[in-house]
Amino acid sequence: MSMNDAELVQQVLSGNENAFRFLVAKHERLVLHVAGRVIQSQDDVKDVCQEVFIKVFRKLKHFRGDSRLSTWIATIAYNTSISHIRKKMRQPEYSYDEQPALVSGEEDTLPAQGLAEKEEIKKYLLQLIEELPVHYRTVLTLFHLEEFSYKEIEQITAMPEGTIKSYLSRARKILKGKLERIAELEKTNIFVNYAE
Amino acid sequence: MLNKQIPTDTETVLNEVLKSEPQYSLPEHFADMVATKVARKFAWESYFGEFLIYLGVIAGILLVSAIMAFIWFNADLKEWAQFFVSNISWVAGINILALFILFADRVLLRYLFYKMSLKPS
Repeated sequence: MSMNDAELVQQVLSGNENAFRFLVAKHERLVLHVAGRVIQSQDDVKDVCQEVFIKVFRKLKHFRGDSRLSTWIATIAYNTSISHIRKKMRQPEYSYDEQPALVSGEEDTLPAQGLAEKEEIKKYLLQLIEELPVHYRTVLTLFHLEEFSYKEIEQITAMPEGTIKSYLSRARKILKGKLERIAELEKTNIFVNYAE
Repeated sequence: MLNKQIPTDTETVLNEVLKSEPQYSLPEHFADMVATKVARKFAWESYFGEFLIYLGVIAGILLVSAIMAFIWFNADLKEWAQFFVSNISWVAGINILALFILFADRVLLRYLFYKMSLKPS
């Protein structure tokens, strides 16, 4: 735990409301990314993020500083989001599959044309990430976007390191495969242009 | 030349996309909103906790007094029970009133004043 984290936790525990406000502001993007990628609903994301920070406040006295504060908060965010989708799953009108078939990897959903623009390719890939199974999306987000180590992701998601590596490599393979197919389909040198 | 460059460039695009933020957003003053909500919750819970402690202490004092009355003053349990049963509405009314006054004093009014103090003047 860095000194700043320790000080911040101490301030919050001593009842400093501004310190808690600072803690929320510092970690809201992380919580938003984790919750957003897991629950995939703009309508629910605010409530889940709020719930996460209320839990953080309640459990902060149990935080011993064995890990970074961000790792600990990400763990709460992940568990809260997973519980949220499980709760939703139990509702009859909501259907959710935690391990759906790898739609984006196995079905040919490539748009026929019109992906020549770099931004459009990015948008398309972002959409593909959203279509990946929840555990793939989560590890991709934690590893690439939030730059957590394998050990930290293991702590957050309680998945073994080998599984995390396998999810990451499979997800990357799927996305890369799609990208290469776009390149082939377009038969342009957009990627050469991109690299320049 | 193109074929050789595709893998590297694909990696570049992919890495860039993986580092892009998802399309979800939070309200602008989310941190303020959450901090206020948590502070309110915490205030309510701490006032209510205090109320329960008061209640426990009062109940404890009454219990100890009753035990002392039975041990040292030879109070008759049957007489007490008869008194409570025959004046049940008074006993219940006084207890509910005392409970409400304690709750209003320790929880409701304090929470109300706390909320009023949050409002900008």
